[in-house]
Amino acid sequence: MQRRDILKAGAAAATLGFPAIIRAQQKEVVILGLWDQTGAFADVGPLNDRGMRMALEERDMKILGRPVKYVTRDGATQAGTSTRRAEEAIDGEGARFMIGPWSSGVALAVSEVAKRKKVLHLFSGGTEDISGSRCHRYSFQWAASPYTAAKTVVDNFMKANPKAKRWHLLVADYAFGWSVEKYIKEVGKNHGIEFVGADRHPLGEREFSNYVQKAAANRPDVVVMINFGGDAVAGAREIFNFGLTPKVPLIMAWSSGVEELIQLSPEIRENLWVGTNFYYTVDTPVAKKFVADYRAKFKTPPGYAPSAAYSMTRLMLAAFDKAKSVEVQDVIKALEGIEVNDLLGQMRVDPATHQTLRPYFFLRCKPKAQMKEELDFATLIATGDAPLPKEYAACKDIGGF
Amino acid sequence: MLYALMGLGLSLITGVLNIPNFAHGALFAIGAYLLVSAANLVGNFWVGLLLAPLGVALLGLMIEYAGIRRLYAAGHDYQLLFTFGLALILNELIIVIWGPVGISQLPPAILRGGVDLGFTFYPKYRLFVMVMAGMLVLLTWLFLEKTKYGAIMRAGIENKEMVSLLGIDIHKLFTFAFALGAFLAGIAGALTAPIRGLSPGMGVDMLGIAFVVVALGGLGNLLGAIAAGLLIGVAQAVVAAYWTEASTAVIFAVMALVLLIRPQGMFGIR
Repeated sequence: MQRRDILKAGAAAATLGFPAIIRAQQKEVVILGLWDQTGAFADVGPLNDRGMRMALEERDMKILGRPVKYVTRDGATQAGTSTRRAEEAIDGEGARFMIGPWSSGVALAVSEVAKRKKVLHLFSGGTEDISGSRCHRYSFQWAASPYTAAKTVVDNFMKANPKAKRWHLLVADYAFGWSVEKYIKEVGKNHGIEFVGADRHPLGEREFSNYVQKAAANRPDVVVMINFGGDAVAGAREIFNFGLTPKVPLIMAWSSGVEELIQLSPEIRENLWVGTNFYYTVDTPVAKKFVADYRAKFKTPPGYAPSAAYSMTRLMLAAFDKAKSVEVQDVIKALEGIEVNDLLGQMRVDPATHQTLRPYFFLRCKPKAQMKEELDFATLIATGDAPLPKEYAACKDIGGF
Repeated sequence: MLYALMGLGLSLITGVLNIPNFAHGALFAIGAYLLVSAANLVGNFWVGLLLAPLGVALLGLMIEYAGIRRLYAAGHDYQLLFTFGLALILNELIIVIWGPVGISQLPPAILRGGVDLGFTFYPKYRLFVMVMAGMLVLLTWLFLEKTKYGAIMRAGIENKEMVSLLGIDIHKLFTFAFALGAFLAGIAGALTAPIRGLSPGMGVDMLGIAFVVVALGGLGNLLGAIAAGLLIGVAQAVVAAYWTEASTAVIFAVMALVLLIRPQGMFGIR
């Protein structure tokens, strides 16, 4: 073959092949999962990734006939790293749709990136600001409103323990903790609850003896923890070591469910009450299938982290279907007001605030003798879906594109 | 007292072998995990508490014999890198053997719950740990001060060449010092398990504090390590009582303050 022939063949390939590649690239829908693999929520990120991947694989990694390119970045549970890596994925990979991260404080920073870069952003966490004072057109909140959570926990606990009026709070000192604390105190007023103490601790705290010492000194009827993950596990363990539980009930107001409960022995879980965004015995067809698939794949039932990622991804995919478009603004318009019967049952996105209106769950942990198997942690005793009353709503105008 | 125990072990290794042992935190974590495994296997917490540090000491012995010893000729930097790499390997090994999910270990039944001390309410198990760690620090101190082998170890810290010239096998001394340091890290980890629970990264936090203790007391200074461990523990407890949020920051604030005044540490470098 002559050199000229090779050049001709190359030119022909370039003419025919490159547009095909370009066409393929244009068709691809790039979705970013911003999940922490390092930092305080390093243990949660891989679980988020599992859930999101499962939801995409159910659709054979395709949406509206186009291939989905799923990219992930480690946000390191830090605002600086998360925003930098999100921008890098948006600019470098062409991601136009983003889910995550896990920390409320970090997500607020990422939400600003979504707004600036005009990227659709779904998030699940305890801060009320994403669908409140810092709401905008591009970010959506999947987790229950902190008000819904507080109302479910306080009302149902008081129904079962009407005399437990002296409450001591242990609160994670960041956006999520402050939001839930505010509404627990607010809802508590209706029940005549006296808050005998409220200590705040930094994210990633592992030494709770001093906090528990102060709690014990207050002689509360109940201790409430508004923290998450490793903090909640360390706190619950210390409260048991001090001999407070099981005599004094302990409430984990916003728990991941399985991921935290599995780290506590049944003795520590005795008289433990748990508020959560998901529990694996939730009785819906989608949840049953998801739990069965997840257990078959990973041996344990899913907790809040994989379930949130799974459900957020499904919600986003449902919006693509509704919009019949992969343009960001079309999908946003489709998400606003969308109603689905999905993982948690009936779910709706409030178009005015971008808050998902959905149920919140309240569990009571089982004593060891009542557990049918090792992972039979708790009984789902109540579900609540009271939306945030208008007078508390801080999102006055969701704004334009 | 746990800080003193960790600091003492790390200081011993730093003093005798002249290397900062970055794997000390991982040895601490392995002590905790071995306690859980041994306690579950034999169904007795106390047997687990006895076996776990012995297992870590044995591991320490092997690390010195099969790893660090081979690198004496290669130089200081290589030993340092070796312990750093070893820490990562041990950490991953914990995940492979025991899994990535945290584990809770209950204190023995007799030490569960708290006692009212009049001025405060305190868990029985923490009181036990205080006494036990105090006794271990005292016993280690007596061993180093009052026994012939302890004197050789102290001499090894002061002047290795002289000890070698006196006909003492310096390599055996190094191996024993590393194993003893590992034993102290292992028992600190085992004692901590019911308080803090277990997670693969549990050694990282403790390693940072152990280095603070060693730097504060004076590199390789055994008495300094004990005093610094106590100082850090007391400072943390006092600050936590009045300003709980600052209880971790105070550890590093105390170190910064002391090193600004005495860069060689409270008791000087040995």
